[in-house]
Amino acid sequence: MTAAPGRLDDMFIALADPTRRAIVTRLARGDATVNELAAPFDMTLPGISKHLKVLERCGLITRTRSAQFRPCHLERTALDAVAGWIAENQRIWSERFDKLDRHLRDLQETPGTAPPAAPGRGGNHD
Amino acid sequence: MTDQPQAAELTYTRVFEAPRDLVFRCMTEPEHLTHFWGPDGVSTPLENITVDLRPGGAFETVMVNDADGSSYAMRAVFVEISAPDRLVWTDPGSGMTTTSTFTDLGGGRTEVRIHQVNVPEPFLSPQAQAGFVTSLDRCAAYLAALVSGGPAR
Repeated sequence: MTAAPGRLDDMFIALADPTRRAIVTRLARGDATVNELAAPFDMTLPGISKHLKVLERCGLITRTRSAQFRPCHLERTALDAVAGWIAENQRIWSERFDKLDRHLRDLQETPGTAPPAAPGRGGNHD
Repeated sequence: MTDQPQAAELTYTRVFEAPRDLVFRCMTEPEHLTHFWGPDGVSTPLENITVDLRPGGAFETVMVNDADGSSYAMRAVFVEISAPDRLVWTDPGSGMTTTSTFTDLGGGRTEVRIHQVNVPEPFLSPQAQAGFVTSLDRCAAYLAALVSGGPAR
């Protein structure tokens, strides 16, 4: 029936698996049955079904109850929440690291501003 | 060395051409943080950076958007400080904990690994979701690259 309310924590766990990410990517192109989803993978139907249950529990996909094929449907809004958060967080750290890299270069290129790389220096408050 | 990812965790790793002491100082001294803490187009004024480097001490920054002047305040608390190799802070507002690990690679190179756990729930609110309209294609690439949390480089 209805999927449990999606929680970001559970979605992260679900998406930590490469097979499940591949399933999500496939479903982004349109609904598919378990058989269709299993085709590209060297995996048994029960194996795929296990992955689908994980994705369904966290709210990333839903399955209609119609007939035996039960096509899987990607819940884009749920995925957007995950993707958006990751993208923003990743962007901030990436740009922060870029700036830190430049700052470290500046420090080391300007004589007298950088401390010597003394091994074993512990707490360092100047 | 990496086991199965835990709940809601993200890892970012970067190698810097600088000795570990210096990198650690950059991450813990306002005079340095002001140079790089904000992402592109965002400033972090020195006067609004608080670093009380002890467990329970404040780690606060205000990031100001250069374009429109809007600001975003982070009010975190240090959990653990082990200079120059480890730094942990937590954001009581979101519950998210960030662990920075500094590894001396030798030859004046340092690897910084940022490990974040406990992704905040508010990101699932309808309002937040409305702001997170992203392309599915790009999303798949992000996920493949980021969520695995495997050993980076």
